[in-house]
Amino acid sequence: MASSMLLRSTLPRSFASATGRNVLRSALQAIYSGTVNDPTTFPPSSKTHGSYHWAFERLLAASLVPMTTAAFVTTGSSYPVLDGLLGISLVMHSHIGFDSMVVDYLHKRKFPIIGPAMTWILRTATVGVLVGVYQFNTNDIGLTELIAKVWTA
Amino acid sequence: MQVLANTARANALRSSIRSFASSAARSQAAPLEKPVLNKEFKIYRWNPDEPAKKPTLQTYTIDLNQTGPMVLDALIKIKNEIDPTLTFRRSCREGICGSCAMNIDGQNTLACLCRIDRKTSKDTKIYPLPHMYIVKDLVPDMTLFYKQYKSIKPYLQNDNPPEKGEFLQSQEDRKKLDGLYECILCACCSTSCPSYWWNQDEYLGPATLMQAYRWIADSRDSYSSQRKDQLQNEMSMYRCHTIFNCARTCPKGLNPAAAIAKIKLELAAE
Repeated sequence: MASSMLLRSTLPRSFASATGRNVLRSALQAIYSGTVNDPTTFPPSSKTHGSYHWAFERLLAASLVPMTTAAFVTTGSSYPVLDGLLGISLVMHSHIGFDSMVVDYLHKRKFPIIGPAMTWILRTATVGVLVGVYQFNTNDIGLTELIAKVWTA
Repeated sequence: MQVLANTARANALRSSIRSFASSAARSQAAPLEKPVLNKEFKIYRWNPDEPAKKPTLQTYTIDLNQTGPMVLDALIKIKNEIDPTLTFRRSCREGICGSCAMNIDGQNTLACLCRIDRKTSKDTKIYPLPHMYIVKDLVPDMTLFYKQYKSIKPYLQNDNPPEKGEFLQSQEDRKKLDGLYECILCACCSTSCPSYWWNQDEYLGPATLMQAYRWIADSRDSYSSQRKDQLQNEMSMYRCHTIFNCARTCPKGLNPAAAIAKIKLELAAE
C-alpha cells in the first residue's frame, strides 16, 4: 500500500526563506510526494482486491433477494440447506459491508494501530457469528424459524 | 425678441451636437432609478499571512440592482468596490474554464454559472471547495487533483498509428465520448464526494475517473487494458460507493457516476 502523501506538516518545510511569515505559512500546506509535476502512483494491481471483490459483493447482494424470498415461503426446519446458505450469505454480506467501512474510515495508512485492530476484531466477530449461526441451525430451530417466531410474537 | 433669438441659437447649438436621443423630450428624460435591493453575501476568509487567525465568514452587502446576474459578478463587484483583498480565481466568466469553482449556498458550482438568489431575506454563503487545502480565501490548492489527473495518462496512447493521415473513428465510436470530453476539470464533483474527502490521497475521485473512462472508451487508444489494470485495486476506483453527489453537482450537467459504473462493469466483464 502506497503511503500517505497528504499529511499536515508539523515542521516548516523551508527555513531558507528570509521572512518569518513564509516559514509560518509552509506549516499549513500539504506535502506531496515528488514535485508538483509528478503524477500520483497506483497501488499494485490485484484483481482480488479489485474487480473480483466487486463482482462477488454484487452477486452476493443480488442472490440474497431470492434467498430471503425463498426463506419467507418455506420453513427453515424442512429446508436446512437453505437455512444454512442464508446464514452464511447474510454474515458474509455484512462482513463485506463492515470491512468497506474500515477501509473508508480507519485505513491502516492513517490509523496504523486502530485500523488493523478493527480489521481483526471484525474478522473474529464474523467467525464467531458464523460458528454461532451453525450451532443455532444444527442444535436449535434455525434462523428462518427464529425470525418467523419473532415476527409473530 | 432677444429671448427668442437666444433660444433659437441654443437650439441650433444643441442640434449640432450628435446625440443618440431621437427627440428633445427623450434627451431630457431622467434615467430610470432602480430601487436599492441590498443583499448580504457571507464569504469565507482566510489569510495565509496570518495563519494563526482562524477562518471567518465576512459579510458584504451589495445592491443587486447595480450588480450583474451571477454570483461571480457579485464577487467582482465586492473586490472592485468594497474589499480588494478578497481573493478568488476567475477567468472566462462563461463556464468553460472551471476556475471559479466554489461552494455557493452548500452546492459546489461555478460562480459564473450560478445566478444570485434575489431573495434579500436570505444571505448567500460562499465557501471554497470543501476538503481542500486553502491557499487564500476562496482559492483551493489543486495540486493533488492535477497530479491525479496526470496519473491516468490523459492523452492518446497507440503504438500503431496510421501510416498516413489521422486516426479514423466511426460515428458510433465518436458518440461514446459525448458526455465525457466536455469535462472542464473544475473539481466540483470530486470535492463533493465523501469518499474523496476521506481518502483523497489514494482514491482518484469522480473527475479523474471519468477522464480515465474517456480514454478507455476511445476507439483510437490501444492501451485500454493497461489503463483498466491500473484501477484493479482497493483504493483507486473501488472507493466509489455510487453516492451520486458528483452527478448532482456537476455544473456542466455531466454524469461521472455513470462513467465510473461503466468502468466497473468493463472490469467485471474482463
